Parts: sequence; C-alpha cells; structure tokens
Amino acid sequence: MALAYGTDEWLQEYNKLVEEGLSTGQPFIIGLPEWVSTYEKLVQADEPYKAAAKTWEGSVVLHILAKPDIGIDRDIYIFMDLWHGDANYFRLVPPEVGEAGAFVITGEYERWKQVINKELETTKGLMQGKLKLKGDLPTIVRAVKAAVRLVELSGMIDTAFPDENPEAPQKIREVLAKAEQLGI
Amino acid sequence: MADITLGSRADEVPMAGMLADMLKANLEKPAKMKIFNSLKTTVYLYAEDADAGMTMDFDKGKLVVYGGKEGKPKLEIATDAATLLELANLKIKMGMPYYFDATGRGVLKKLMKRQLKIKGMFGHPIALTKVTKVMSIN
Repeated sequence: MALAYGTDEWLQEYNKLVEEGLSTGQPFIIGLPEWVSTYEKLVQADEPYKAAAKTWEGSVVLHILAKPDIGIDRDIYIFMDLWHGDANYFRLVPPEVGEAGAFVITGEYERWKQVINKELETTKGLMQGKLKLKGDLPTIVRAVKAAVRLVELSGMIDTAFPDENPEAPQKIREVLAKAEQLGI
Repeated sequence: MADITLGSRADEVPMAGMLADMLKANLEKPAKMKIFNSLKTTVYLYAEDADAGMTMDFDKGKLVVYGGKEGKPKLEIATDAATLLELANLKIKMGMPYYFDATGRGVLKKLMKRQLKIKGMFGHPIALTKVTKVMSIN
C-alpha cells in the first residue's frame, strides 16, 4: 500500500528518490524527481521570476501524459507550489493531488519536449489545443510574464529526453516502480 | 449570465473555447455586462503563430463565437498568441483602455512595428474600444 501523501514518511522517501537521482549527475531525464528538484532550485533562485510573480497565488501542475514506448508508463504530475514570487516546493505527486491543483496544464510528452526546447510557446500551444489548461484563464493571463519566465527556466535545465536516449526508458521504469510506494 | 454560444467550427479551434470562457468570466462584472449589452459588431481574431482564428459576433447582449473567419468582420486583429492575451491584460482607466503602463506601451509598440495589426480601427473606433473593454480582464 502506498504511503499517504504529505506525511513525514512520504516526504522522507520522496527525498531519497531525489537524492538518488541527483547522485547520477546531469543531464536529468525530464519529469524524474531529480529533474523536478533542479527545476525547483532554478525557480527559487530566479529574481526575474520573483518580480514577475509577486501577486501570483496558487499551485501549478504540469501533467505529462503517459507514453509507454519511452518508459513513461503512467501519467506524471509535477506539482509546483507557488506563492507571491516564492517557489515553496516542486515535486512529483499522486494523480489525485495533481488533478486538484489550482492550474493544471496537460500535454503529451512530445509537447513538453517542444516547450522545453523553446519550439512551442505555451500560449500558442494552449490556443492550438496542444496543451490544455484547467483553471481560471484570466488569472493566468494576469500573470503571463511569470508563466513565460517559468517556462524559460525549464529550458535551462540540462535535460535528457527519453526518446533520444536508449537507456532512459529503463531508468524511468525503475524510478516509477520505486515511486509507486508513494502513490506517484 | 451572458448569452454566449459556440457557432460553427468553434469546437475545432481551441482558442475559441478558451476566449469564450474568459469572456464569460469577465461578464460577471456588471460594468462589462453593460458594455456587452450595447455592443454590436463582429471581430475576427487571428493568432498568427498558432495559425488559429475565430470570429466573435456581438449582437447587443448576445455573442456567437465561430471557429475561423465568419462573414465580413468589421474589426480584424492579427498578432501572435501571446500578444492576443496581452490585449486582455490592458487596464481600463476612466472608461478607456490605458496605454501608459508597461502593458499598454507594449501594445502600442507592437502596433507601430506591425507586430499587431488591427483592421477597422479607424473605421470603427468605438466598437474597438468597447471590445477592448469587454475583453479586458482588469
């Protein structure tokens, strides 16, 4: 049975996953705990983001749809707890937690890869239906500069893409198997 | 509640549904609803980079949103997707769109550089102002 999300035990086990991943060194595979942790640190240290997100309130969830042929056997939810310019924490979460985020942006793996590689601008992706937003659009529009900066920062992570790396699908499966006990 | 319906091909253009939802939320404000009730015009919005377009047919308290271009719109606004959303971020002061803050100046700059094109802005200035006010989330 999976550990209850948000408990100390859950957090300890999750942090272990992060540490294990970080110890392998960059580049990190998109969507894995070490990638998410690196993203968190980047955002936490970024002054332009802080300035642009001064009035932002609410969690944002990046939802990567499953793509089993590259090892993503189930959907991944990256939960970003954001408040008034602070990035409190970013972490992978169980689906029910992810779906309950204030803003959930959903897309296929290929779309997220395009976003990170700056080949797909988020607004354009939303208007084309390549990405889907659940949440109050006017709130996002008010904070459009912060949202753009968040996306820019994701492109600064030294990222490994599983469709380009033959060993990555196996690694993703191993991590997701360990993450199962966390309900992720 | 505002009478907003999706017309032909709107379901094929995600942008149409998105902006219709945004407009519905805006029209919960009585001041915007009042303008909406007096607005009669047609507007074509085109996001060039997304190659997505939609037509809004305002008819005094009713709005039909179409996917693509429908009929002969009086106003045609073409720019990139992000700038279309920036337009919704324009502040309204003294009942008019405000162009003297960073967002407003950004919009003017794009107009000058032709990164934002508004056909009909001189022929239908009042309709354009009303549309801007209704679309503004501020």
